[in-house]
Amino acid sequence: MLTVKNLRKEYTNTVAIDNISFSLQPGKIFGLIGPNGAGKTTTIRVILNIIKPTSGEVLFDGKPMDRSIQNVTGYLPEERGLYKKSTVHDVIVYLASLKNVSAHKATRLATEWLTKLDILDSKNKKIEELSKGNQQKIQFITSVIHDPKILILDEPFTGFDPINQQLIKETILSLADAGKIIVLSTHQMDLAEKLCNDIFLINKGKEVCSGNLSEIKRQYGTQSIKIEYQGNAAFLNESSDVAHIDMYQNYAEIQLKDSINPSLFLRSLVDKIEIKHFSIIEPTLNKIFIDAIKN
Amino acid sequence: MNKALAIAKWEFMEKIKSKAIIISFFLTPLIILGFSILPSVFAEKDEATTQAIGVIDETQNYFTSLSDKLSEFKLEDKQPRYVIINLFKQNESVDSLKAEANKNVVMKKIEGYIFLSGNSKKAITFEYRSLSVANFNDYQRFEESFNKIRRMQEFQKANIDTALVSHLINNVEMKKVKLDEKGNESSTDFMKQYFSSFIFIMILFMVIMISGGMLVRSLVEEKSNRLIEIIVSSCKPDDILKGKIMGLSGLTMAQIVVWVLIGVAFAGQGLVMFASFQNLFLLFVYFILGFVLYTAIFVGVGSIVTTEQEAQQITSYLSMITISPIVIMIPAMQNPDSLLIRVLSYIPLTTPGVMILRLNSAPISTLEIAATLAELVLSIYLVIKISSKIFRIGILSYGKMPGLKEIFVWLREKE
Repeated sequence: MLTVKNLRKEYTNTVAIDNISFSLQPGKIFGLIGPNGAGKTTTIRVILNIIKPTSGEVLFDGKPMDRSIQNVTGYLPEERGLYKKSTVHDVIVYLASLKNVSAHKATRLATEWLTKLDILDSKNKKIEELSKGNQQKIQFITSVIHDPKILILDEPFTGFDPINQQLIKETILSLADAGKIIVLSTHQMDLAEKLCNDIFLINKGKEVCSGNLSEIKRQYGTQSIKIEYQGNAAFLNESSDVAHIDMYQNYAEIQLKDSINPSLFLRSLVDKIEIKHFSIIEPTLNKIFIDAIKN
Repeated sequence: MNKALAIAKWEFMEKIKSKAIIISFFLTPLIILGFSILPSVFAEKDEATTQAIGVIDETQNYFTSLSDKLSEFKLEDKQPRYVIINLFKQNESVDSLKAEANKNVVMKKIEGYIFLSGNSKKAITFEYRSLSVANFNDYQRFEESFNKIRRMQEFQKANIDTALVSHLINNVEMKKVKLDEKGNESSTDFMKQYFSSFIFIMILFMVIMISGGMLVRSLVEEKSNRLIEIIVSSCKPDDILKGKIMGLSGLTMAQIVVWVLIGVAFAGQGLVMFASFQNLFLLFVYFILGFVLYTAIFVGVGSIVTTEQEAQQITSYLSMITISPIVIMIPAMQNPDSLLIRVLSYIPLTTPGVMILRLNSAPISTLEIAATLAELVLSIYLVIKISSKIFRIGILSYGKMPGLKEIFVWLREKE
């Protein structure tokens, strides 16, 4: 388990992260979500021991993160780049050697991963000869080749076409199944929504909300329902239960007043119009994100 | 330490495979050779064609002898070097003769002319007038020839034995003999000494410039593509620093080995120069310490630059300091014990260059050698300490280059 406790990082004139705490479980994907400049990268850097926090601590299985943990962390930074003039094989083996993986083992693992991500034919090419997407795959490989226990992925999907996005997504899921602690930092809400079990929303260095994603959704539920119907629903415009309504021909999105129970409201409708479909609208992560930051 | 070695190996292997290093391996010796030998080759190379030289001898005393004497100088192909033309005319004024001669010079009918006037007993005016006043070899010949003729004539008038006179009018050349600290003669002459020091400092300069530049560029690359974050998250900043310095030193050693091999293959001449150093071992010590000192500075400074342009600027400024001893080279060799030279010996940035000069020109006391070496080692230690502090923060700061004030803040930050 990875625990972040009361982390704070100050620079000369600014506070980059302000007293944040969370914990990460093996086998789960943790979404670190926030707008640009929110403090995501600083948080990642502190976790990875690249920079020291002003106060607070990061614990891995109860022990402080120190240099000895460096060999079990994997990191894919947001801004990508590799040694352009070097070959794929050399770069992978070099970066693996910095994680204490022997050249012999790294060569074998490189072949496995290149096969898995379908770019084995690029093994002896120079990085600069590869397409941008393939360069990203190589960078992804360098972050996982040493079988890290903690894997931090900063915007792992940008720059991939849909097919490769799918490939990377499956790879990340299988790494989670294998019991890795995975931090996914992203602005892409739809992907975070599909992949993450837990999220941490950060803005201006401070926690906005955090916890299990489905609980957060419940917490941010907005009393919204969606109905499809036949008949005259004009009475809904005057209903005292309704806070806001968007009405179309045979379809309406209704925001109920806080005191109203959606099931009872449904019961009150069935006498007047024929209901074909009824559902409660869950807020998207995108909406939670925007609402939370606005508030 | 394992990781430092991994980084050193990577830096060495990747750089040695690059085209830039291959060029520098072979181009640098050429440049050094060019800088050190070409100027003297050009300076000694004379006009290869016969020149027409006019003479206006108002005294009418010297023309014949001077013409004979100057005709003795031959070109390589045995043709006379000078054709002497008498421009003096009995019934014309000196001014009009000069005006006419000037015209001929301008129209390039003659290369120049010698003007002699005055009373032989009193002061004599001896002028050479031409468009260009830069050919030292010609002047020397004219001057020497004239002075010999004049002395000869005066001695003869005074009835002094001709044989004795002709013996006396030749200058005695002074041979400079250098002693080493044991009092033994050594065969070095000034030019040899000058060029060997020059070459040594040039090599130091080139090596620092090339490898320093490479170091800074690789840091800028790793910073701009954020690889540095992956590296820093994998090993200690000190390991990165050590690895880079080791890799680069290895590269430099390889480079020097290649140069020495090229030297052996092409020039016995070049080796004579090296042989003229009595303190070859000490020289290498200063050389290596100088290299490490500058590399350590480059690492610290290189970690704060963020663009290729800044990198280039900083590399050239720093390299200029290495080469600065060349400016004081001649005074340093003429007077190795002057105060300025002594002071410069103790300023870390100039210590290696100045000591290389001094070692080659005069014996230096053991105390002074020990003191300068100690001072160098101490400053390397301090520079590495400061550099690694700057490095630790510098490599992770992007965007604007930090100001001095900000760097002082970094230096005060605890590890």
